[in-house]
Amino acid sequence: MDSMITAAARALATGDVLGALKRVALREDAPALALRGIAMAQLGDFDRAKPLLRRAARGFGAKEAVARARCVVAEAEIALVSRDLGWPAKALDVARETLEAHGDRINAAHARTLQVRRLLLIGHLDEAEHALAGLDATTFPPAWKAAHELVVAGIAMRRLRIGIARAALGRAERAARLASIPALTAEVDSASLILNTPAARLIARGEERPLLLADVETLFASKTLVVDACRYVVRDARGVVSLATRPVLFALARALGEAWPDDVSRDTLVARAFRAKHADESHRARLRVEIGRLRKALRPLADVSATKQGFKLAPRRARDMMVLARPVDEEHGTVLAFLADGESWSSSALALALGASQRTVQRALDELATDGKVQSYGRARARRWMTQPLPGYTTTLLLPGPLPSD
Amino acid sequence: MKTSAAEIIQEYGPFPGAEQVHGVTFDGHHVWFASGDKINAFDPASGQTVRAIDVAAHAGTAFDGQHLFQIAENRIQKIDIKTGRVVATIPSPGNGGDSGLAWAEGSLWVGQHRGRKIHQIDPDTGAILRTIDSNRVVTGVTWVDGELWHGTWEGNESDVRRIDPKTGDVLESLEMPQGMGVSGLESDGGDRFFCGGGSTGKVRAVRRPKR
Repeated sequence: MDSMITAAARALATGDVLGALKRVALREDAPALALRGIAMAQLGDFDRAKPLLRRAARGFGAKEAVARARCVVAEAEIALVSRDLGWPAKALDVARETLEAHGDRINAAHARTLQVRRLLLIGHLDEAEHALAGLDATTFPPAWKAAHELVVAGIAMRRLRIGIARAALGRAERAARLASIPALTAEVDSASLILNTPAARLIARGEERPLLLADVETLFASKTLVVDACRYVVRDARGVVSLATRPVLFALARALGEAWPDDVSRDTLVARAFRAKHADESHRARLRVEIGRLRKALRPLADVSATKQGFKLAPRRARDMMVLARPVDEEHGTVLAFLADGESWSSSALALALGASQRTVQRALDELATDGKVQSYGRARARRWMTQPLPGYTTTLLLPGPLPSD
Repeated sequence: MKTSAAEIIQEYGPFPGAEQVHGVTFDGHHVWFASGDKINAFDPASGQTVRAIDVAAHAGTAFDGQHLFQIAENRIQKIDIKTGRVVATIPSPGNGGDSGLAWAEGSLWVGQHRGRKIHQIDPDTGAILRTIDSNRVVTGVTWVDGELWHGTWEGNESDVRRIDPKTGDVLESLEMPQGMGVSGLESDGGDRFFCGGGSTGKVRAVRRPKR
């Protein structure tokens, strides 16, 4: 390394970003471009950082493969944090292999963590979990360990494995404190908050109470038939029936679930399912048809039987029945139900699944996004939608040192 | 050109509080090396650190018998070895792209890293007296017995090479093992080179081939 690069790298390492920039501002050689790119990224100017890192990667000679790979990793991290997923994942993979081959273990692991975070972000939980299994975080420096544990916690929360999530967050918190990066500590704190904030509302026998994620996990494992209005499914410990594409059937199931063990009158059911104020004969005929469909759909889990004035549900295996709803009943519940699986959806796929027009779905998504309930990434046709972030994709940049002598 | 594997006689460090080695020199008793915010001296017989001078130290280090010369950013500081005080400063020829530094025959010799050059400069004014082109990046420079040697380090490849001071032709190369880099270079006047090991924080003694 030359003198000014050393001085700039030292300034950057001590957090003196402007000092680093000042020293290499006018230089166009690869190490200077790389330092400028990292500095701009730390200042949050991703649009400037990306081309600088790209030019740096090109500028490093064939013999400086490690420096080049680190630039690629830095660029990938910036893309991830700015939710730009058009970035080629293949290049990151090649960079990771280069780093591994040259014994740069920490940055190779960092590259893999970025891959996992990307998979999580695009909602590929199985792949993310698989890739995560190949990582041993025990020797990571604290900041990297914290980011890693956040990913572990994020996957566990989506899978409703709250014990695992809690343990991972505990480790993340300790690591973040060791790293003493305030932004990282804040990320861990907000992630932990999710575990202590009501995630759902339980409705049983006319009473309601809020549930934490951990309670939801317990509920799903118990001998209770749950009419789950967060995901538009009916489930017990052994089976799940999805009614997400059948909103009328779900509305009936929910009404029956809320009244259990009592029955529900035909009028009430008509009002709930068809939003009709008064039930006339055609409504009653339609109700009979829909109840027949519901009976067929729920057959593995529950029976729908007629009573004198209406209908009631009878669980097959479960001893109890409850309704799980979002903390606040809201519009566009069906859209949220599809997104509740943690996967990412295109608006056209949602429209297809919901049997609604793309325009309707788009309007719902826009409203939900305005309320901060969903988020999107990507542009135009590549745009994907997800529920608000659970932990796993920190916005804190950890960035590899770009230079070969680091 | 004669090529052979570098024979590493000994490794020193890493030294506490000095994460990287940027420049190396030898005052006849102790090896001095630049580690960013100070120049450290250790005894090559025991490996013990004996002294440190707090001064910006980002690249090459040299010794003229009385003073240490130390590159920091885009200047060369002249430091009184007794008091540790900076007594003069001259601009560096590579304007911050400077890497190695050596003292010989009344001149300073400065490596220009990516410029792949070695400049001979006037130690009082910094004026460039002449420039030798190398075909590799220059990371350390030293003179011994009328021979000009410099270090190179690109990615995983690094060597210590003797070049013709007139033409820049490479006469001899001692190749370092894979992944072991030379970030600073100084001869002890005998059969050893002291080589900075960059981010490993080590200084290595490499045998100079016998004539």
